[in-house]
Amino acid sequence: MSPIPTRPLPRPLRVCLTGLCLVLLGAATASSALETRQVRIGFVGAHDGDAMRGASQGIDEANAQGRFLGWHYELVPLADAAAARGAGVAMIVADAAPATLRALADAAAPAAVINVGAADDALRAACLPNLLHTLPSAAMRADAEAQWRRKHADTTATARAWHESFRKYAAAQLNRRYETRHGQAMSDVAWAAWAAVKLVSNTIATHGEAAPAQVHDMIRGDIAFDGQKGADMSFRDTGQLRQPLLLVDGDTIVGEAPVRGVADPGDLDTLGLAACAR
Amino acid sequence: MRTAIFTLLIAAACASHAAGGRVFVSNERDDTVSVIDATSNEVIATVPVGKRPRGVGVSPDGSEVYVAVSGDNAIAVIDPDKLEVVRTFDSGDDPEAFAVHPNGNIYISNEEDAKASVYNPRNGEKIAEIEVGIEPEGVAISPDGSRVIVTSESTNMLHIIAVPEHEIVANIVVGARPRAATFSADGKIAYATSEISGEVKKVDVATGTILGRMPLADDKAKPKDVLLSRDGKRLFVAGGRANSIFVLDADTLEVLDTIGVGKRVWGLALSGDGKRLYTTDGVDHQVSVIDTERDDVVATVPVGQFPWGVAIDD
Repeated sequence: MSPIPTRPLPRPLRVCLTGLCLVLLGAATASSALETRQVRIGFVGAHDGDAMRGASQGIDEANAQGRFLGWHYELVPLADAAAARGAGVAMIVADAAPATLRALADAAAPAAVINVGAADDALRAACLPNLLHTLPSAAMRADAEAQWRRKHADTTATARAWHESFRKYAAAQLNRRYETRHGQAMSDVAWAAWAAVKLVSNTIATHGEAAPAQVHDMIRGDIAFDGQKGADMSFRDTGQLRQPLLLVDGDTIVGEAPVRGVADPGDLDTLGLAACAR
Repeated sequence: MRTAIFTLLIAAACASHAAGGRVFVSNERDDTVSVIDATSNEVIATVPVGKRPRGVGVSPDGSEVYVAVSGDNAIAVIDPDKLEVVRTFDSGDDPEAFAVHPNGNIYISNEEDAKASVYNPRNGEKIAEIEVGIEPEGVAISPDGSRVIVTSESTNMLHIIAVPEHEIVANIVVGARPRAATFSADGKIAYATSEISGEVKKVDVATGTILGRMPLADDKAKPKDVLLSRDGKRLFVAGGRANSIFVLDADTLEVLDTIGVGKRVWGLALSGDGKRLYTTDGVDHQVSVIDTERDDVVATVPVGQFPWGVAIDD
């Protein structure tokens, strides 16, 4: 919990240009600069897809935080479940089919696998020990839409995890950062992948631990994650990230769920499967 | 005789200026600052300042009032006698909150740039720029001026900056979305609010040790501004969605009192004598005036749309 001082290099080294100075630089780094610890985050999914873009955004922001604390994050693409075994990663972000996710979770244990692309309800109901989900499940979206219909009998809206026109709760800042870096709008999957990396890096910053089993334990706790949607988010025992959803009609955000008036806006467990069956 | 009368007139004029002071409130959606007479609790002027005004502060000698005009990337300078903007200067991208140093310089958080910048408001010159975390927001300065805290909202950190070196000397991880901070009189302790984790944290500035944590309204408060009473014994926290001011024991963080105010209370300012606390109640478009001896609201003053920042020149 103690702060780690960040110091600029001493002036003589800042002006150093020659090879000779590299020797001095090495000595100075060892004695005065912050020791940097590497954190490898595994990635399974298309190399040019929204999940990769979102995860990369998360890595950028993790490093913006980590440079003050001595952590450096790196995304490590993994070909398949077999590659996850012994990959030395703190956790894995995965955009894959349900069967692949199950195999990955099996192979990666005790590291957590965070599903950012599959809305499949059976995956949540399976309550696998190390499979987590930042993308909302199909049931969460259906519940949000049903709440909307109960309040506004004559209209329908589509539930989304994220939307490019979302501005409240500093969503505008995240949308702008993402669009600046990637030249396109942040999708639901991109948000889920960004959130997966960011909630892990925040937890590592808070606890000062990055071993896979500890990371999994820590993120399962009361993380109060800020997904830039105004609520404090944490994982259910199903592995699903509790979160508010946006209700969108055409290209316009018309509301947020839980829908005030038909549900308690503070009770995120009114959306989807709240807990594992006992 | 003539001199005596003149002296009396001057004294009377000064007294009327000093009595209770004026309260300056930025109205984020109206592009104005409301000026409230602290004696009558009435709005005596509404000053147009530019797009999306947020942070407000007063120069150490009380001769100027500064307003961060976020939408114009500028600081507007209001003459508190004329009650008009006398000049503006460029402040870097999207200035949000700022604090005035005892030496007169101002420390600004530039939200979009992940930077804090230091300006001399007398000539508008930028003195320094410090890279901080993502979405910097709250700024606090220790009473002796040797340390500045900038909170970065999306990096969950308090950056401790040394003055005059303008280098970060420590980074303290706190709860999600830290919004504001304040120092104890001796500068050794800082208090910070975190909006998403709904809490106040008390930290030892030198070691970064977290000394205490108090969740507000079961973590649901979404607190923003935080201030210490003049005697340093009580902490006032603007409760955001809790629509209340929480009064905490500065030592134990125990909640001593909860004072109901308007909806979405964000900003706080304390009078020089510490007896009156002013709050901006964003969604109710009003300022509440609290008597801090009774912990009661004694007046509510309608202002512009979505009041955000508040400062008093007494």
